[in-house]
Parts: sequence; structure tokens; C-alpha cells
Amino acid sequence: MEEERIVITGLGTINSIANSVPEFNEALHKGVCGIGPVTVFDTADFRTSTGGEVKGLNHKDIFPFEFSIKRMSRSDIMAMLATLEAFKDAGLFPVPDALLEDTGVVIGGGAGGMLECEEAYRYYHTGMNKRVRFSSFSSLCCASSSDHIASSLSLMGPKTTFMTACSSGATAVGYASDLIRNKMAEVIIAGGTEPLSRITYSSFNALKVVDKEYCKPFDKNRQGISLGEGAGIMILESLSHAQERGARIYGEVLGYGVSCDSHHMTAPDPEASGAIRCMNSALQDAGVHHTLVDYINAHGTATPANDLMETIGIKKVFGQNAYKIPVSSTKSMIGHTLGATGAIEGVVSVLSIAYRFIPPTIHMSAPDPECDLDYVTEGSRKADVSIVLSNSFAFGGNNTSVVFGRFTEKGLINE
Amino acid sequence: MNRRVVITGVGMVSPLGVGKNNFSQKLFKGDSGICPITSFDTSRFPSTLGAQVTDFSPADFISRKNLRKMDRLSRLAAASARMAIDDSGVNMDSINMDRMGIILGTAYGSTDVSVQYAGILFDEGPRLVSPSLVPNSVMNAPAGHTSIELKFRGINSTVNHHEASAETAIAYAAAEINRGSADIMLTGGTEIISEFFFEVLSRFNALSPLNGGPEEARPFDIMRNGFIVGEGAGILFLESMEHAETRGAAPYCEIVGWGMSAYPSPPTDWPSNPKGPVLAITRALESAKINPDEIDYICASANGGKKLDILEAEALSSVFATEGKRPFISSIKGAVGESFSSGGIRAAAMAISIKEKIIPPTLGLKNPIKPLQFVLNEFKEAEVKFGMVNGFSSGGTFVSIILRAL
Repeated sequence: MEEERIVITGLGTINSIANSVPEFNEALHKGVCGIGPVTVFDTADFRTSTGGEVKGLNHKDIFPFEFSIKRMSRSDIMAMLATLEAFKDAGLFPVPDALLEDTGVVIGGGAGGMLECEEAYRYYHTGMNKRVRFSSFSSLCCASSSDHIASSLSLMGPKTTFMTACSSGATAVGYASDLIRNKMAEVIIAGGTEPLSRITYSSFNALKVVDKEYCKPFDKNRQGISLGEGAGIMILESLSHAQERGARIYGEVLGYGVSCDSHHMTAPDPEASGAIRCMNSALQDAGVHHTLVDYINAHGTATPANDLMETIGIKKVFGQNAYKIPVSSTKSMIGHTLGATGAIEGVVSVLSIAYRFIPPTIHMSAPDPECDLDYVTEGSRKADVSIVLSNSFAFGGNNTSVVFGRFTEKGLINE
Repeated sequence: MNRRVVITGVGMVSPLGVGKNNFSQKLFKGDSGICPITSFDTSRFPSTLGAQVTDFSPADFISRKNLRKMDRLSRLAAASARMAIDDSGVNMDSINMDRMGIILGTAYGSTDVSVQYAGILFDEGPRLVSPSLVPNSVMNAPAGHTSIELKFRGINSTVNHHEASAETAIAYAAAEINRGSADIMLTGGTEIISEFFFEVLSRFNALSPLNGGPEEARPFDIMRNGFIVGEGAGILFLESMEHAETRGAAPYCEIVGWGMSAYPSPPTDWPSNPKGPVLAITRALESAKINPDEIDYICASANGGKKLDILEAEALSSVFATEGKRPFISSIKGAVGESFSSGGIRAAAMAISIKEKIIPPTLGLKNPIKPLQFVLNEFKEAEVKFGMVNGFSSGGTFVSIILRAL
């Protein structure tokens, strides 16, 4: 029996440069920067004050009235907004009754409901237990977002939540494709969500990996990341199901790979061995020879260590060809959205295939002699993109790479 | 790829003891790991009991260099992983570390570290947060620390689903070996009791003695009045059948199927309709290609909670026969408490049951809520050809895993 192919039939996102996929597509073409002053909390006492914050979170007008938003965190709300957009985009909203048992949810998270819980932690710590709103803890763990999505939409397929820091969203997309391949579901809502929160913000500041201004991936003077927030969701579907209902197909999930540095909790392996194994295993899983990759959506956090490590890794995997493949970091526009980043960058990868363009790396002014690949710094570029490799490398040494491809009936033909 | 997956090692740091021998001896004898909590003062709470891990010396299992960097949650996991490796008899020098990975479940992570962290952040300000606090504040820390300690470099992931975190992790790990992306996977769960977490559970009206009566864990009992919180870690050593055969290992059992489902539910609460768990169970049976009457023993998810236990009992009554050939059912949460990521410990118990042909009792169960074939307060000797482990979670997530004797 032929293995089931996994296609993408709907997209949704909210982030610091867009509140919808069409807005995102336009902003990616223009190279818009969403990094600015953070307002969700007071940054006066922090070392830095900028981030990629979502503006105009306008869920009340969008959520159907029967959705109970009372116990949703900011993270849950963003995930739900992106899910609704993706489902509508896929032509599956409201979800047909016959599909409820075969539709699952796989979400990657990070801080979950931390923003809402910080106040409670604070009162708890100071012994003012009476002022602690314990109900806020119901949305603390990342599973809250998948719970809200599945319950609001009455879904009964498999439900899973990943928390592997900055690779959560990418792992979610990969695992969701496995579930469909193993016939555990026909349709899966796959993606990630991440809010800005003081605890996360102070963590990255304590590690001194945050740029005070805005992140400058692959630049000689890069100082670190800009934190961001948002959600990215894709509707994955078995090809047979998508074709049967005549769905529009954006692209295909060809494969993914996961590896571990086994090196250090918060620093990447300078020799990039984890990243190399991850990219190779994704390409192998996808059945794609490395010469066929048209675009690499880099992890590109703009920390001195990551960008050098990633560049070394790409050169090892792609050899001389590395210099010919465009590599860009869209974190330069929206910041690093941690648990959501792999999912939002998955949306970027699919858009680049669907709209035949490569989004730029913005903010680059001084080339780094050690980072010498084609980082698409002159603005977005028109290109006939068929195959994209999207990288996510996380604290804890968790690496995930996903390979997306243009959908053709015949599938891939390797040279 | 469609490779067979076997369990060849188990390791645990549990309220019933550290390591397989201590754990299984007490488990089958019917000893309880539940006692008054000693790690903090419970006088301001209505509940006072917990299933705590005591007598655990992490330095016996973890190198000093890495031990310094690990908090308690990671120590439980890394020590259990070391024991699972030892139990499997594998020679770590002879295996391909790129083909060995870990997928762990944890529901709430290091809640004690989060409180400490928030304290510094809000009292002393963000500039005094130490970078050394950061790694242990993330939920993927135990899997990361364990991979560094044991030096394997394959798939590494952490899943998060309340009471079903570890079962979800096990299903994912088995799928990875099945599809050929790893030869060996460590999998299971880890969880700790902290004073803060205890207070949250207390405020959510989850803990015994809810609505009065004596404080006790009574899974499936009509007098149940909430669960007793537990802690601990349990890790399975999974490998492909081929890999086990090549090195001449003697597996406990094979993982032959799993099913997952969701059902609409209020946040952190339970649905009343048993359709969600019924779907997970029937999907697991389909994936194992067996009929309900072939299941000999079910390691249930019931913990003494008002809603979960009746939900599971109803689901079991509707899938399995209530007369004639029907499965034995027990819940070891009467002995080890509800540790949320208890699935690692519970799946390990099932592996031991299959190998030793003995079923553990359900402590605290005297008057069952349904006429099912429960194993009450004494173990039962029985051959278990097919066993099922259920991991059902609040918020409406359901996982069932089927293991088979070899």
C-alpha cells in the first residue's frame, strides 16, 4: 500500500507584523519590522525594553459566541484565532460533523499561561495567599491551548502538546504529519503559540542573549535575540481526504527530523553536530537530495553562537551548494516567538512556496566574514521555490527541521 | 517502515521505592506509598497526605558534574533513565548514540523552581535573576539533562498533557521506533510535589478528603472523595525488536498498539460522556488488531477522583464484557497516588505484570462503582497475554496503550 501523503490546506497566524495570513504575506514581501517597545508589561526594571508584540488582539469580535473565553490565556487566545483563520481558510469551518472524530490537535507551546499566572506567583511568594487568583493556573500549562481548541470545536481525534522550548512548533507539525501517515487522523490542527511574559523576558535577559535594539540575524554586530509572541497554525490533511473534498492545496509536508545536541542546556554545540544530524535526518525522511532545496528558513536567532553554528551546519550539510541556496531569518521581522516559532516559520515556508518568493533577513548592515551565505538582505526576492527546509533549534539541545514541498500529483522526482 | 517495538528495561524512582525490585516487591505485596507529607507544613490545608519519594540518593545514579545542574524533577528522570538502561542490559559503548532518544511527559514541570524564580523576579527585580535558574524553569529540562548525562543524541522531546502526559510520550516514542527514526527510546514521565502545587490542587477541589470523610485514595470506590497527589518518575527502555534480538536481550513485552482521542470538556475538568475514553480504547484495540475479549488486564487511570473514576468505569463497561471472559482491572494509584505523569511508572508495572504473571491490587477499593472484575486489595496471579494501560486526563485527552506478552 502506498504511504499516505500529507498536504497543507489551511493557514492561520497572528504575530507582531500581521493579524492574518494575507497581512503576513504582504508584510513578509515588504520586509516589515514588528519589533518595538513592549507594552504588555512594564519593562522599566529590565535590561532591555523591546520585543515583537502582537497589536490589536481583537478576538471578541471573531470568536463565535458559544466559545467560553473566560479561562483562556493570551497564549490560548492567539492559538484559537490562528486556528479559526486556518480552518476557515481550509473551507472546514464549521467543522463537518462527520469529520469531528477524525480531526486532531497537536500544538507546541512555551510559556503557556505564564503571563496570567505571574501575578498569582507574586502574591503566593509574598505570603498574600488570599489575593492569589488560583483559577489563572488552569491555563498555565501548554496543554491548555490544545484543550481549548479541541473542546471549542468538539474535536475527538488525537490531541497532543509539545513543550521543547524553541522547537515545539516545528515538532508539532512533524508529529502531526506522522499521526496522519499512521492513519490516526484525517485532519490535524498543527502549530504553536507563545505569549510575551515577564518570566520569559527576564530569563533571556539573565542569559544576556537579548539585543537592546532589535535582533540582527547573521550580522557582524549581532547582540542576541528579540523576543516575540504569536501563533502559527496549519491544517494538515491526508492527500486522499483533501482531494476527495476538492480542497485547495498550499503544499506538502515532505518529512521532518529531530535530534539532540547532548551538549549544554542553554548553548548550542559550536560544531553544529546536532543541527547537522537534524537537517540530514529531515532530508532523508523527506526523500529529498540536498541539491533540491530552494530555500532555507533559518533558525537565525541573532545570538552570536546560534548564527555561526547554523551557518557551519548548513555548509556541512549542503557542501559547496550552501552558497547558492538563499537562507533567511524571518525572526528579523517578528522576533523569536519561542514555542510558536517553528509553526510560524512553517507558515512562512508554505507561503514562500505558494507565492513563489523568498522573504528577506532585515536589519543586516555589516556582513560577518564567518557568516558568508546568501542571507537575502536586499529585500524579498521572487523565486520559484519548490522545496523549503525550516530549522528550529532549542534550549535543552532540542533540534527539529521540517521539509515542505510544492504539491504535484506525481510527487518528488529526485535527480 | 513498520518495526516491532519491545520494552527491554524499566527504571523508576517511586513512592514505593527506588528501582524495579523495591518497587515491585511493595507493589504486589499491597504496600502503600501514601503517608503524611513531610517536605512542607500541611496544617493550613484540608489535606495532609501524599505519595512522596523518600530514600532517594541521586548521586548513586548521576555524575556529580551534571547533578549540580539538575533540580529534583530532572534528577528523578535521569536516575530512572539510568536504571532503565541498566535493567535492559545494554552496553552503552556498543550502540549508535544518534539512534537513541528520549520522549518524556511532564504535566507541570518544576513548580518549586517557578515559585523561587518568580520570587526573585518580583522581590529583587529582573536584573537579579540568575542565569543558572533558567534551564530548570523550562519543561524540557529533564529530557535535556538526561541526554547530556547519558550522552545519547537522537530524538529528544517533551510532551505535556495533565494526567496523560507520560502515556502520550510513550505512544510517541513507540511510533518513532515503529517508523524507523530511532532504535532505542527512553520514555515515560516525571513529576514532583511542591507546596505550591499542593495548594493549587487543593484550591481546585481535587484532593481527598473532598466533601469530608477520611482522607484516602480509593480508585473506583463508591466512597471515593478525591485523589492523593503523588510524585516520581518511571522510564521505559524501548527498542526495536530487531535491535533487541541482535543483542540477545530478553524483552518484558511488546507494545502492539495505541489509541488517542479527545472529547469536549471544560478546562481542567472532565466530560461526563464516556465517548472520549471509549474512542481511545477502541482505537488502541484496532491498532493492535485484537478484540476486546483478548485483553486480560487493564491498568486503569482511575485515581479516586469523583468524575474520572465513573467516566473510566462507564467506558470500560461499554467496551468490555461484564460477564464471562473479561479483563481484570486494577489501579495502582491507590498505592502511588496521582502523580500526573504516572504513566511511566504504571506502564513499567504492566511490563512487570506481564513478565511475572501477577496483577497488582487496587488499594482503597472496597465497594466498586460498577460490577467489573476489579482486583481489590490483594494481588492476583494470572497470565496476562494482552494488557492495556489507560492515561486519561482532565481537559478531555485520552490515551490507551496495549502491551503483549512475548
